[in-house]
Amino acid sequence: MTSIRCMRVLVVEDQKRTASFIRKALLAEGFAVDVAEDGETALELTGATTFDAIVLDIMLPGRDGLSVLRLLRERRISTPVLLLSARGETNERVEGLNAGADDYLPKPFVLEELFARLRALGRRGGEQASSVLRVADLTLDTVSRTARRSGRLIELSAREFRLLELLMRTPGRVCSRMMILEKVWDYGFDPGTNVVEVYVSRLRDKIDEGKASKMLHTVRGVGYVLKEAQ
Amino acid sequence: MTIRTRLTFWYSGMLVASLLLMSAVLYYELVYEHRAEVPAQQREQTPKQMADIIFLYGAPTLILLLVGGWFLMRRTLAPVTALTDAAERVHAENLRHRLTRSGNQDELDRLTGVFNDMLGRLDESFRRIRSFTLHASHELKTPLTILRGEMETLLRDAKTHPDHHEALEGMLDEMQRMARIVDDLALLTKAGAGQAPLVCEPVRLDELVREACEDARILGERQGITIELVACDAVTVTGDRHRLRQLFLNLADNAVKHNEPSGRVTVSLRRVADGTQVEFENTGSGIAPDQLPLVFDPFFRGTEAQRAKRDGCGLGLSIAQWIVHAHGGTVAVTSDTGNLTTITVTLPLSD
Repeated sequence: MTSIRCMRVLVVEDQKRTASFIRKALLAEGFAVDVAEDGETALELTGATTFDAIVLDIMLPGRDGLSVLRLLRERRISTPVLLLSARGETNERVEGLNAGADDYLPKPFVLEELFARLRALGRRGGEQASSVLRVADLTLDTVSRTARRSGRLIELSAREFRLLELLMRTPGRVCSRMMILEKVWDYGFDPGTNVVEVYVSRLRDKIDEGKASKMLHTVRGVGYVLKEAQ
Repeated sequence: MTIRTRLTFWYSGMLVASLLLMSAVLYYELVYEHRAEVPAQQREQTPKQMADIIFLYGAPTLILLLVGGWFLMRRTLAPVTALTDAAERVHAENLRHRLTRSGNQDELDRLTGVFNDMLGRLDESFRRIRSFTLHASHELKTPLTILRGEMETLLRDAKTHPDHHEALEGMLDEMQRMARIVDDLALLTKAGAGQAPLVCEPVRLDELVREACEDARILGERQGITIELVACDAVTVTGDRHRLRQLFLNLADNAVKHNEPSGRVTVSLRRVADGTQVEFENTGSGIAPDQLPLVFDPFFRGTEAQRAKRDGCGLGLSIAQWIVHAHGGTVAVTSDTGNLTTITVTLPLSD
């Protein structure tokens, strides 16, 4: 799946090496990237160019990320903002969202997660609300809450259903452990158990049962991906 | 015996002694010295009269002095009592509290001053340790972010040799672990300083316990561990939903991890007189009595043998303990070696 249109992202990060790997990774993933090292530069750039999304680090020299965010919103710039923070506190997340951020990602993060969240921000409002999701011969009906592979009904618990739905909404893309915890368990932090691993392996047993071609894969150290069996 | 009683006794004892001494002197001076000049009849009467007078005036004086002394002692020792009470209230979380000085430069005022200075130094060193841990965990995140990002970029690069993939993936796994330890440390440090706020709302505990059991069931499936929820009263408390969920998931996970193949976990949620009691009981090798007081300590992971087969970093139960304490509850662990281990959480009911 490639993006229909190239998203232009502004990365505001003072740490040169962090900014550099984010830039490289986003470019490789097909985003157009601009980098600002501090808040003032970011404000200048947003005044001159329209971006599809802004990745904004909270800890910046001089004017910090949250105050940059407030100024942006004051200036009626409604570009979606994804906050990055090394602190990763629940109250910081709430504070950020209240200040007008659209999403929040604690450091260190999984790159795939940054991509997924940025894409979600780009799609904002325009997400298709199809009730039946389909990946190859696997279908998931979000209304009747049933899943089938090659027509065979798969029995799923509520949580397994939510996990499969999340994976099927981003086929071919890696879902990080943190993202799964957030969307399926509603955890804003890592509870420190291998509950995700165990659920995924159960789900894998169910959907890949008796099939030579596996659909649910583990990307070690990164997350999980559901893709058409090859 | 308190200092106050002892001092009062000494004080009155000395008074009685001086009174007796004074009577003896008076008797000698007034009666014995002049016995030749006094008629025989009077000689008999004088000592008796004297004894009467001494008793008549001495007894009330003695009582007055006893009572007065008792109160005087209380007054004098009041700052000491205040100091003791204050010292009793002091613990790592409220080192900022100071005692009020009388300002009259006496011994006790100086003692209070010295005590306050000591509190100040303690407070300062606790604060330094905390801020050090917080800064360290914060500073570690930047290199962790960069390392993680660079490794992922390498993994995604088609030019990376496939042989290196496994090594890189292993590193990413460890990186994730490290990030979690850093996060947990930061949380525990903030919790210790009372800086990890709870977001409180009414929470249905029974729902959270059921959910934790469901997760435990899945977690223990591979090892054939059965999870039984033997009691689940409907209970609502005021608390932080996310933290309470984390607490029960931690305890459930702990009960599965420290279990034996085909073991059993018994969970109960009961309304008791002074609140709610949640119990997680698991089969397994148990915990040695001398290790019991240590299970909530950060980085405690039991004996070498237990450590070898587990992947956690030993902060889960410390965090669980913080969550319970932050909600005004208590948590305790009991264990029969080679048999059952029970963790009991008691949370106060909301009004």
